[in-house]
Amino acid sequence: MSNYIVLVKQVPDVTQITGNAFDPETGTLKRGALPSVINKLDTDALAFADKMRQASPGKIVCLTMGPPMAKDILIYSLSRSADSAVLLTDKVLGGADTPATANPLAYAIRRIVKDMFHGDNNYMVIAGMQSVDGDTAQVPPQVAEELQIPCIAYATDVEFTSNKFRIKKIVTGGNQWVSPKTLPCVITVAGYDYPLFASFQRSRWARGHAVIHWSAGDIKPTLFGCDGSKTRVIKVFPPPKSSRKNKHVTHIHEFVSELVMSYKKGGFSSVFETGEADYLIPSKRADGTFNRNYEVTDKEVRLFNRVAQALSKLGITEVHQLNGPLVDRVQAILDEKVPKRMMMEMFEGYKITRPSYTGDIWVVAEHDDEKTNDVTAELLGKASNLAKLLDVRVGAVIAGRECKHMLNELVAAGADDVYIIENELLKDFRPGPYRKVIADVIKRYEPQIVLFGATPQGRVLAPMVAYRLGCGLTADCTRLDIKDNTRRGDIAILAQTRPALGGNVMATICTMNSKIQMATARPGVMRKIKSDTSRRGNIIHHSVALSESDIEFDIISTELGGGRTKLTIADVIVSGGKGLRNRDNFNKLASNLSSVLQKKLNCTVEIGASRAAVEQGFIDRIHQVGQTGTTVSPKLYIALGISGAIQHLIGIENAGIIVAINSDPQAPIFKHSDYYLIGTAEEIVPQIVEALKQ
Amino acid sequence: MATKEKDYRHASILIVGAGPGGLAAAITAKSINKDADIVVLEKGEALGNHTISGAVLEIAPLKRMLDKAVPDWLTLEGADHIMGREVRSDAVRFLLGKKLTINISSIIKLGKKLGLPLGEMDNHGNYVVSISKLTKFLGKVALSLGVEIYPGFCVKEILYDKTERKIYGIKLVDQGLDKEGHPQSNYLKGETITADIIILSEGSDGLVTEDFVAKTGLKREINQVFSVGVKEVIRVSKERYELFGNNRVIHTLGYPLWFPIFGPDVFGGGFAYSYGDNQITIGIIAGADWKYYNFNPQKALVDFKHHPFIYQFIEGGEVIEAGVKTIPEGGYHAVPRYEQSGNGGKIIRTVGYKNVMIIGDSAGFVNMHKIKGLHNAIESGSLAGQVSVQCLNNPDKAAEVYTHMLEQNSVIDDLKPARNFRAIIAKFGSTIGFPLSTIGKYIPKLNIERDFESMTSTMFKYDTPGKFDKATFVALAGTKHREDQPSHLSILDQHYCINKCDPLFDRACITFCPAGVYEQVGDKTLPANPSNCIHCKTCQRKCPFDNIRWTVPEGGGGPRYKQM
Repeated sequence: MSNYIVLVKQVPDVTQITGNAFDPETGTLKRGALPSVINKLDTDALAFADKMRQASPGKIVCLTMGPPMAKDILIYSLSRSADSAVLLTDKVLGGADTPATANPLAYAIRRIVKDMFHGDNNYMVIAGMQSVDGDTAQVPPQVAEELQIPCIAYATDVEFTSNKFRIKKIVTGGNQWVSPKTLPCVITVAGYDYPLFASFQRSRWARGHAVIHWSAGDIKPTLFGCDGSKTRVIKVFPPPKSSRKNKHVTHIHEFVSELVMSYKKGGFSSVFETGEADYLIPSKRADGTFNRNYEVTDKEVRLFNRVAQALSKLGITEVHQLNGPLVDRVQAILDEKVPKRMMMEMFEGYKITRPSYTGDIWVVAEHDDEKTNDVTAELLGKASNLAKLLDVRVGAVIAGRECKHMLNELVAAGADDVYIIENELLKDFRPGPYRKVIADVIKRYEPQIVLFGATPQGRVLAPMVAYRLGCGLTADCTRLDIKDNTRRGDIAILAQTRPALGGNVMATICTMNSKIQMATARPGVMRKIKSDTSRRGNIIHHSVALSESDIEFDIISTELGGGRTKLTIADVIVSGGKGLRNRDNFNKLASNLSSVLQKKLNCTVEIGASRAAVEQGFIDRIHQVGQTGTTVSPKLYIALGISGAIQHLIGIENAGIIVAINSDPQAPIFKHSDYYLIGTAEEIVPQIVEALKQ
Repeated sequence: MATKEKDYRHASILIVGAGPGGLAAAITAKSINKDADIVVLEKGEALGNHTISGAVLEIAPLKRMLDKAVPDWLTLEGADHIMGREVRSDAVRFLLGKKLTINISSIIKLGKKLGLPLGEMDNHGNYVVSISKLTKFLGKVALSLGVEIYPGFCVKEILYDKTERKIYGIKLVDQGLDKEGHPQSNYLKGETITADIIILSEGSDGLVTEDFVAKTGLKREINQVFSVGVKEVIRVSKERYELFGNNRVIHTLGYPLWFPIFGPDVFGGGFAYSYGDNQITIGIIAGADWKYYNFNPQKALVDFKHHPFIYQFIEGGEVIEAGVKTIPEGGYHAVPRYEQSGNGGKIIRTVGYKNVMIIGDSAGFVNMHKIKGLHNAIESGSLAGQVSVQCLNNPDKAAEVYTHMLEQNSVIDDLKPARNFRAIIAKFGSTIGFPLSTIGKYIPKLNIERDFESMTSTMFKYDTPGKFDKATFVALAGTKHREDQPSHLSILDQHYCINKCDPLFDRACITFCPAGVYEQVGDKTLPANPSNCIHCKTCQRKCPFDNIRWTVPEGGGGPRYKQM
């Protein structure tokens, strides 16, 4: 007997984005133009819960927070397998970021347990790993953190043996079977490919079934809505125009010679401009008191410029001269009307010249016990850059069973101080003990910025740490800058820019109501600095008491793929997906193509795979490319039979040239490729191989 | 699940297909009897996804139906779309070859004055609508009245009790099978739903309708024949749209389908309508009795779009949506009926059988003079809806009462004058057929061969070179199916593909299938890409050897039209 609470979310259907969905004036996506659907990974979570229930019977309750129309996805869930459905809907809950979403959900879970499970703690919370609109993956770990229960992330399968659930989950380079030591726990599902079908009978029953509506008053959350949020979206803008060519290939021979030529030229560039950070704190700005050239939005910069000009015309040179009556005089000069309130905010803002945050810039290192991974060095590169602007130090935190041998790497990559936490219980990465020690060291030293890699590990650890410390967190940043938001009194803050809605919009987000600004950044996006082994840094040992009770799940077995792949440094990657149909086919096609490419281009070639191909057993997890696998940046990426789920696309965004072969003309990967060929890989790969041989 | 209090597997009135006709039936029935238990099943993922039409709507039946059921319907959200674009400029043009165009609107107007069938083509007072949007709107109305609508459910067959000689329900398709037909872990066996009265409103060439016709022995006096309509919505510049105008419909005859005497000769024509928001919808309708083995209506559409008269409006435009459907054109004589003796031994021929009624395109209620069927779908739907509640206590009377009502009301009157139009052209070709058809109602009933029988080894000559980009077309139709399911299309006997079709017609299905479903694999012809299918069913009507069968895939598969 167990009970199950499945978290579901209503999202815009980003698979149906057409030309109509964009505002022709601003170029931004009109969210309202898209149909609303249940988040795909949540349907997987529902099927996952249904599978668990078949082994250990109990109730399935679906829970969502959203506007009244979110009822539709609860009906969807009821018509498949849920017994009850709860809709948390209230105006005061709206506009929430992840902690302000996780908190009410956790309070609703408490009430579900009390009311519907009669206090029985033998339950599991199951959720899709992330939603397609926000794709932050933060809410489920933060729900776990609020409830103080374990979080098992990236599940792909489940078994029930000797009266216990064993959960198969993705870990870097392989799979792990784990078993929660205690219930309740949170499980996030990274993919489960047998979503349930609606039955007619259930659909009719669901239609007449009352969805339970709760308002904020019914659950009394402590953190909710705009006011409870720790981050604020400052601007939304269209993504940089993809430099992908999107060329539909019909002539194989022409294509192959063009491909070889562009490969030799070095391929095309990545979609992200990481840019060199450029900022001066107000007190250091040469050209006068009223220079505000570093606002988050260009609009504000222009506004401040105009006001500065007006002030100079009026002969105002000192901040203390700014006062209410002056507003009217400035307004008289300006050609465009600026509301009085806004002007007063500007005047107040001018008076602030000191950064809003103090402390160092930290990076939480990630490693495989032997060495730190690439994203750590990338983040240290970025941190060094930002630290220079703020005149602060760069810190790196490393935790594990034994990490001393990795300290030099961190210093060479840019760390001034390394905080090291070693403990036998940190042997394998488990969020339980890790979040405890990382949160502890952050709390002790209070840096102003903490950066994590947006890796499978970072994406579960960061949300828990941020929630624990009551700090804002922005996921998957592709650009980090120091900026001002003067009118709000924010000076020298971290502007965190990330893609959202499946990469269809970009948003710049700032932290609020927090002591520390936290962000995860996508691997392969930030730039390392040149490794300098002559650098010297301080080593600070930090210890946190850990006990067995901090370990939240048992690791039954870990299956890591044979050895290492060189996916991150390969010149060329040939990746296969579920479209290759079976293991033999996968091996044959991928290896034929790789070997001929290797000869023709005289380069290193690695074999990659989509999550689905790994799940189907075509190849080992170590080859998986994407958000739950490895983020890659080869000069040439060839995708065979991969449809292009967003998690996969994120992992290849920085590839030079992308070639996609798929029989589905609507495969999303085509929009993200330079060349695409419509047809099965069986049909096309041999033709390419032949053409390459010539 | 507490299913005890109610048998969820039974409905009093079951409607198969949530198009405008099926929804008109549901709305009418529910508005008359709010306690009636009415279920509408729809194979598309959402309402409107599988409906496509021109559409120039003759609005009277819709207004009549809605005025009665929901008097304040004009104030509802979405109603503005329906009444938003009245036809103010209407022209018929004869495109004589690639350059010459002749405006024959004055002849049509004259025809109207003289009461000739030609006059029926006049569209003043009609409205340009998107049938997808219309369907969505009617769906909302029906839901608000308490009708149960379930999208994403595909009906595989109708259930006939041989001993009782009676239809008692339907069976849904099995879901969760893999490509080879083995159950996956999420397998869901197709459920059986029983009903007292069933209304078949599947649209053109309905799978369940044909199953019903076969099982209960309905007969058509002449063969049903079809046309294939291809439609694109094109976003053009503001200037081009202004040039075209916001309340305009154009119909064309001639190029590229027909050139008098010297050929080619494919029945049909083209159209261009204002669609609002700087959009123009362009399409071509081609009789599926084309004789050219290499004919593909999409390629003909490309030629049509390049005709200077059309091109001036759409130059530089972007196609934002596209789709295909078949249109049943046999008309009055091709309506399937069940012959029985009624009161006093009088022979009556019902459009349906006992408790089952067929409406709209499923019945073949298309008026070929008007080139319209939508108004009749709504009208016949309203009638069937009314009859279904009237006959709830005596369901077996439904088809009879319904047929009587069709005859009393406008549907049959609408169809009868046009009854021979299509057959005349099929028999005599366009050049003689068009003039002859003006006296169509004085000509006796003509039988016509079925569309697949007309294929020959003659070639159609296109003017625009190159292959048509079917892949992009499929993407613009928004088609999707779960990949790992059994193919819902089957080729019965490869012998015909390999030994007959290959030498004679170069495997015509590979050419004409608008979605590129068929491919030659080795020496076989296979439905290699069933997931691209846009549910037009041209293949099962046009395969020259009648060798292809279309059935339903898992629920929710198919195109996702937004404003077709």
